[in-house]
Amino acid sequence: MIWLNQLLQGILLGGYYALMAAGLSFLFGVMRVINLAHGSLAVLAAFLLLMIDHWLGVSPFIGLWLMLPIMALIGMVFQLGILERSLSGGPLIPLLATFGVSLLLDNILFAIFGANTQSFAPDIGSLSYGSWAIGHSIDISQLDALIFATALVLLVGMHLLLTRSQLGRMIRATAIDAEAASLSGLDPRRVRVVASVMAMIMIGVAGAALGMRSSFEPYAGGAQLIYAFEAVVIGGTGSLWGTLIGGIMLGIAQNMGATINPHLSQISGHVVFLLVLLVRMRMGSLRLGNFLRKRMRPSVVSA
Amino acid sequence: MTHSNDQSGAGGSRRRQILTTGLGAAGMGAASALLPVRRAWAGAEKKLKIGFISPRTGPLAGFGEADPFVLNLARQSLAKGLTIGGNTYEVVLLDRDTQSDPTRASQLAKDLINGEKIDMMLTTSTPEVVNPVADACEAAGMPCLSTIEPWESWYFGRGAKPGQPCPFKWSYHFCFGVEQFAQTYLSSWNSDVKTNRKVAGLAPNDADGNAVRQHLYPILRKAGFDVIDPGGYEDGATDFSAQIAHFKREKCEILTTFPIPPDFTRFWRQAAQQGLTRQMKIVEVAKTGLFPSQIEVLGPLGYRIAAAAYWHPVFPYGSPVSGLTSAQLAASYEKHSGHQWQQQLGASMSLIDAGVAALQASGAPTNKVALAAAMGKLKTTTTVGLVDFTTGPVPHVATTILIGAQWVKSKPGSKYKLDYHTIENAEDHKVPVQAKLLPYRMA
Repeated sequence: MIWLNQLLQGILLGGYYALMAAGLSFLFGVMRVINLAHGSLAVLAAFLLLMIDHWLGVSPFIGLWLMLPIMALIGMVFQLGILERSLSGGPLIPLLATFGVSLLLDNILFAIFGANTQSFAPDIGSLSYGSWAIGHSIDISQLDALIFATALVLLVGMHLLLTRSQLGRMIRATAIDAEAASLSGLDPRRVRVVASVMAMIMIGVAGAALGMRSSFEPYAGGAQLIYAFEAVVIGGTGSLWGTLIGGIMLGIAQNMGATINPHLSQISGHVVFLLVLLVRMRMGSLRLGNFLRKRMRPSVVSA
Repeated sequence: MTHSNDQSGAGGSRRRQILTTGLGAAGMGAASALLPVRRAWAGAEKKLKIGFISPRTGPLAGFGEADPFVLNLARQSLAKGLTIGGNTYEVVLLDRDTQSDPTRASQLAKDLINGEKIDMMLTTSTPEVVNPVADACEAAGMPCLSTIEPWESWYFGRGAKPGQPCPFKWSYHFCFGVEQFAQTYLSSWNSDVKTNRKVAGLAPNDADGNAVRQHLYPILRKAGFDVIDPGGYEDGATDFSAQIAHFKREKCEILTTFPIPPDFTRFWRQAAQQGLTRQMKIVEVAKTGLFPSQIEVLGPLGYRIAAAAYWHPVFPYGSPVSGLTSAQLAASYEKHSGHQWQQQLGASMSLIDAGVAALQASGAPTNKVALAAAMGKLKTTTTVGLVDFTTGPVPHVATTILIGAQWVKSKPGSKYKLDYHTIENAEDHKVPVQAKLLPYRMA
């Protein structure tokens, strides 16, 4: 029973990791940009929500609807001001540019808010510790279930949007061949702004989940980036479904490791990550955006 | 003062000396009431610089919350200077915030020692602050007095070996240790609250956690408590469900834990989610749960958590430096800050009390060898009680008391959400006991 419970807790933790990774995976898939500022942007979102809650005195769930549009705006500025300019400079420049953004954000947040640890848990009442009991030894946390459901809805929704909608076709076309897309009458610049805005909204939701589930401080971004990155790589770069699977695998690995010995919790997650990485390198399928290309081409042709 | 070319260097420096001594004498006389203090003792050799390093922001910020108030109080009390061995010294307190980062703590200590040329270092609150600072002082030959870190973490955590000569020359530490935890825990757990004597031991893999695992658990086991230790976890862990399942399976009814505060918040919420809180009768925390803010974030999960107190307003001791009793100190803090009193208030005050006592006992506070020797022989009563380095468990260490205490929902009409009552006084019967230990339950 303990293993079953641990498996379930691992899956729920995995949903949280997948939610953290969604924006990273999306941006990587459609623009082939490894956004090193991902973790810092999630922390920025959490701080925005904190400010909104303090100013207006509303619950984080209401504040979220104010924070997400701000994040979308930031996404637009981020895309036009930094990513668009660096994209033309080869694969290394976006990497360095987003790294710079993450350093800048961390330190700006520190200068404004100090190093104090913040959390939304006291503002969401019993949701932070409420649970449903199943039988005698399994308890499902309400907040973790909510986060898992959010991750599922967000990732499935994005997947459907990419594969079924006109906007999705435009984004995929731009991702695969921007020049050909512009020849067919698309404006790749605008499409990329839309994609960046969508990624930033996902990051905003992730930031809110971070603040409710645990706590955050200005320098918490780095740790978030690592788990998100591992989930993306385990699940297959550029695939949104894969990100969900990757997050869950990471969560299960950590919890199973911890059940054997708490020392093994983080190590076992990293080991799974490295194993998957090695296998993928062997199979030669780790080229940037490879996964997305393979899965998309038929549907683009049929469109 | 300028030198003309025909004067010899020696003559010049003598004249400067006479001038500064004159200034100092004038200051000691009538000028103190008229002139700003800083100008009255402008002579360089009459100034005592004291470094004060503590965590004011970051995960350990709770410890530093009251430090600005304590430092302000100390500055006011020492504004007239300190008279030691016939000389009056201007006292300058240089306080620094480690932001809860050990690397930064070490850097701040080096900056104070080399840049500010301080005469004495004071540092407090957790191994993450005290150990790097004490190490930097040890390396630079700077007398360093510290508190609020279990002394085992300070002594053994910095490379001293049991049974071998003390490797430290410049650093001194006064604090409770495992022995004090054991005494207050056993006194609390053997009280009216009946349990199955099965103890859930949650300790991280860090200096405090390992000291607890090696030294505290064996004492508790010997006293008839079955301590279940699932093993150390890394600070900052995201999930505790494995440990929670382990404690549930073992049917533990007592919890003892030494986590950093954000980890406990996460652990205890998860414990509530997974039903561990329902089986707990005594919840005994350390390193977190010391301050009202850390319990308030737990909401209804925080009532009736017990945490041993290293200071409390009911302590019958006062601060020689500020002249305030423990009760006055708490009242003054609540009045000035608008926040509820918290126990680090007394501990930070006692660090300044003990530091000043060492400066006075040295006879020559700018002489580092004399100052370090004075620390080693120090025996003085501070805000937290007696600090006696002559009877410590190991050289360079003095132990202070811990008193069992419990957080309870405050009475209607109170300004604050929580009250913190002493529940036992096994280590010092002069400290009044305010209430009986109540069994844990979620409100």
